[in-house]
Formats: sequence, structure tokens, C-alpha cells
Amino acid sequence: MTQPSLELAPERPRWDDHAVTLVASEPLGPHRRLVLAMPSLGARFRPGQFLNLSVPGHLLRRPLAPSRHEGAEVELIVTPFGPGTRDLVALPAGTRLQALAPLGNSFPLPAGAAALVSAGAGAAPLARLAEELLRTGRHVHVFHGAPSAEDRTLVRAVYERLGLEVQYFSEDGSLGRRGYPTEGLAELLAGGAEVTVYSVGPIALMRAAARLAIAHGRPGFVSLDVHMACGVGACLSCAVATTAGQKHACADGPVFEVREVVW
Amino acid sequence: MNRLEVEFLGVRFPNPVVTASGTFNFGREYAHLYPLSRLGAVTTKGTSPRPIAGAPTPRITETPMGMLNAIGLENKGVDAYVADELPWLKAQGARVIVNVFGDAAADFAHVARKVSPFADLIEVNLSCPNVHGGRLPFAHDPAAAAEVVRRVKDATDRPVIAKLSPGAPLLPVAEALEAAGVDGFSLINTLLGMRMDLERKRPVLGNRQGGLSGPAVRPVAVRLVYELYRHTDRPILGMGGIASAEDALEFALAGARLVAVGTATFADPYAPVKVIEGLERLLEARGERWSDWVGAAHTPD
Repeated sequence: MTQPSLELAPERPRWDDHAVTLVASEPLGPHRRLVLAMPSLGARFRPGQFLNLSVPGHLLRRPLAPSRHEGAEVELIVTPFGPGTRDLVALPAGTRLQALAPLGNSFPLPAGAAALVSAGAGAAPLARLAEELLRTGRHVHVFHGAPSAEDRTLVRAVYERLGLEVQYFSEDGSLGRRGYPTEGLAELLAGGAEVTVYSVGPIALMRAAARLAIAHGRPGFVSLDVHMACGVGACLSCAVATTAGQKHACADGPVFEVREVVW
Repeated sequence: MNRLEVEFLGVRFPNPVVTASGTFNFGREYAHLYPLSRLGAVTTKGTSPRPIAGAPTPRITETPMGMLNAIGLENKGVDAYVADELPWLKAQGARVIVNVFGDAAADFAHVARKVSPFADLIEVNLSCPNVHGGRLPFAHDPAAAAEVVRRVKDATDRPVIAKLSPGAPLLPVAEALEAAGVDGFSLINTLLGMRMDLERKRPVLGNRQGGLSGPAVRPVAVRLVYELYRHTDRPILGMGGIASAEDALEFALAGARLVAVGTATFADPYAPVKVIEGLERLLEARGERWSDWVGAAHTPD
């Protein structure tokens, strides 16, 4: 069994509060693609790291993991589901915001090939990871679950622009195979593929992907999205039960090895 | 001339702006942004005799001009903090207000005794449940709250302030605490509230109910500080939705000698420093000192 070549990196650049500008906002099916100009950031977001973004009219910031980081421009995929994200996707280009960044740990790169298992906007941080995997010459399998064919535009934007071939799964069969993306992962692992598994999406998806990785003795990583306020480890909102005791998604994560999480 | 300098229970603070317990942990997360000695003081995360895992998630949710939290008093227990975080915090040159709590009066005293070497003030969190007294918060039971203060006073030579709950009768509790020897007060703790999830048809928070904080509670807090100031000669640390120098001055007028910035730090980690800088500018422009404002709303016209 091949192990990831990197541990979850303990040392990371220090975060600060950055003045940012929303330079683009465009629909991607049910999601929205936002581009932020972050000229003062300096460091580059590593795959899986996130920012905590202010939303005018809301007290708390919203944590989001970039799908791409080119020069000073950071791309985010936002799915509106509450008042904060609905207001965020309605902001016009040119809006000035504040972002705490870069926050959290990052996905370790695998020794060999990788299998990415995502659903909805979970594709965003995995696309940022895929970019890094491809740049370093690793083979990448992608299994994406979409509620319906509407997610096609999202996948095209984040995965297929990298030249990746994506296996789609949808609950209604309107995009790719009917079913869940973990079915594709199960087939790959059953075939003996020596991949490291990465999954971001609803908790049920990540749990299923984790169980498959564990059952096949493969390394696996998930990014846990738990309601948080500060984003930096102070408020203790985003508790995660782990085999090493209680941790916090913002400061100890958001990336956790699948065996570490108490599912 | 330092216009912000203020004395509180024999401790000199370079400015009146402290962090609120539970919003700043033990300061380490923010220490790379500004020196913690720049703050009036750091009030540390509520500390109990033993570690507490806390409440189920979600633990926070946003509300109009505020937020609800139910962290469930998660903390690593006093021994971990005495070994590590409190010595580190003192080494930063910060003044430290240590927030203590427990299941029973003896637990409060146990924690207070252990943290005393690192504490400029001890803040007693009376809003936690009285486990051996029907689980009502100590803050709602004047006799139980007074017993906590008596035990803590016996356990420490540091000044002891009691943090009051806005859900409890203010004056009966305050009078009982004064009789028990409390040195000062801090208020307000959060207001209990609830939000519903329309999809799940259940409360949003894992703990069902949580504490409301942020600008939404500020007028409630200003009123309670004002009310308490009229009835006590002991100093008051005021808090509740403070996010600007102007907010802080409202509390000063009502009678607060120190003020805490809490929830605003989640929105902006620099908020405590911005309040200090705002006060410096504002008081300089007016040629006044912070102490000129403390309780000034109570002077006859």
C-alpha cells in the first residue's frame, strides 16, 4: 500500500484580513462563480485551504475553499442556500469585501494516482487539488454526483477545463449514470486501483467514500464543512470528533484523514 | 497623556477595551495580528476543573444583527491552561481576566485558586447550570450565586468580578453578590434564544437553544449597565454588541469602567484594536479622557 508522500502540513502561512474586490460573478447552473482579486494575499492558497469572506449586511463571514488561484485572482464556487450565500451571489462585480486568508490545512498530495469524489460545489476544492495533481504528473479519476443535469456547467467550468474526464452520476439519471459517485469509486477500488481517495460534498457522500477507502486499505481525505464563526480556532464552533479527541474544522482541518474522523 | 488609562479594582489598564470571554480563546490565534499587550486585557475562554467536550454541532447560527451560540462550555480544563496557555499569555505582556466556572461552588474556587498566579482579575461565569441545584444557572439563584462568590473570594487574592445574566433579576442577584463580597460586575452575558430550521422542522442549533450576542443585544446591555450603576458602588465591565468607539462610549456613559468587545471579533479580528484607536482619536479630538465619560449619563443636568 502506498502512503501519501506528505503529512497534513503543520506549518502554514499566517492568515490576515485582506481587502478584496469581487471582479466577476456569473451563474454556473444552480451555483455561481465568483472571482476575487486579492492583491495583498502574497501566499498562494494550497488545495483545500479556505477563506472567510465578509458579506455586506451579515454579521458573520462565510467560509469558502477556492477552486482556482491564478496570480492575484481567486475563484470561488458558491451554492446559494441561506440568506448569507443568497446575498453573496447577488453582489455586483466591483464590490469591496474583506477576507480572512489563507485558513486551514490542505490536502496532502498522493504517492500515486488519485480518485476525486465530489457532489455539487464540493467540486471546487477538489478542482484546485486536481490542478496540482496534474501539474505534478499524477493520474486523476473524477467521480461527480449532480442532483440533475444542471451541474453540467459547474463541472465543465472546474474539472473539464483542466482536461479531466469526469464520470457523472445523477439521482435522476439525467446526467451520466443514475446513482451516486461512490459507485464509480467502488468499481475502481474493486479493480485493485492503488489510488488515494479525496472526497468533498454532503456528509453522507464523504462518509461513503471514507468507508470504501478504509475497506480497500487506501488512504483517503475529506474536507469537513462545519458551521463556524471566527474561522481561525478561537470560537470553537466547528467541533469534529476524531480518534485523537475533539478537533476543530477551521484550525485542525478542514482536511482530515478518513480514519481520523469518527463517522 | 494617555486619555484611555483606567484603574479598575486596583489594576491599571492602559485602555478600557478587553476581549469578551469565549470570543478570543486564550489569544494565541490573534497574537500575530497585534501585540496582545495592546489590549486593555484578554478575557480567556471559560475554564472548568475538568475538560468539557461541549455541545453537538451546529453550535452557531447567524441572526438579524447578531448570532446564537451554544458551544456548550467546551474547554480543556484548568490544568491544561495553567500548564500552557496562561503562562504564554502572561509572557505576551497582556493583562489577563480569567473566566472561571464549574458544576458547584467548590469547582469555581478550585479553578480560581489554580489560575490566580496568572490573573489580574477573576471573572466568575454564573450563567452555567448549577448541576447540584436543579440545573438552573447560578445567575438565577441569588443564594447559589452568592455562595460561588464567597468560595472564590476565599480561594484567591485577586479581585473577583461576577458576570451577570440578562435573563435573571438584576438587582436581587447583584445585592446578594455584594453581600458575599464581590468586587465588581461584568454584564451582560448572552440572552437565550432559538432559531428554527424550516427544512428539518427542528431548532437549528445542536443544543436547541443558544446565547444571543452581537449588535442586536446592545440596547439591552446598555440599559442593564445603566440600571446596575445606579445601585452599586462597585466597578462595572460592560459588554454586549460593542463594535466601535461610539458603542464603547455608550457603555461608559451608562456606567461601565471597562468594556469588552466580543462577537465583533468574529466579524473583524482587528475589532478590539479598532475600538481602542477610535477612542484615542475621538477623545483626543474632544480633549477628554475615558474616565470623564464613566457614569456621566447619571450626573444631574
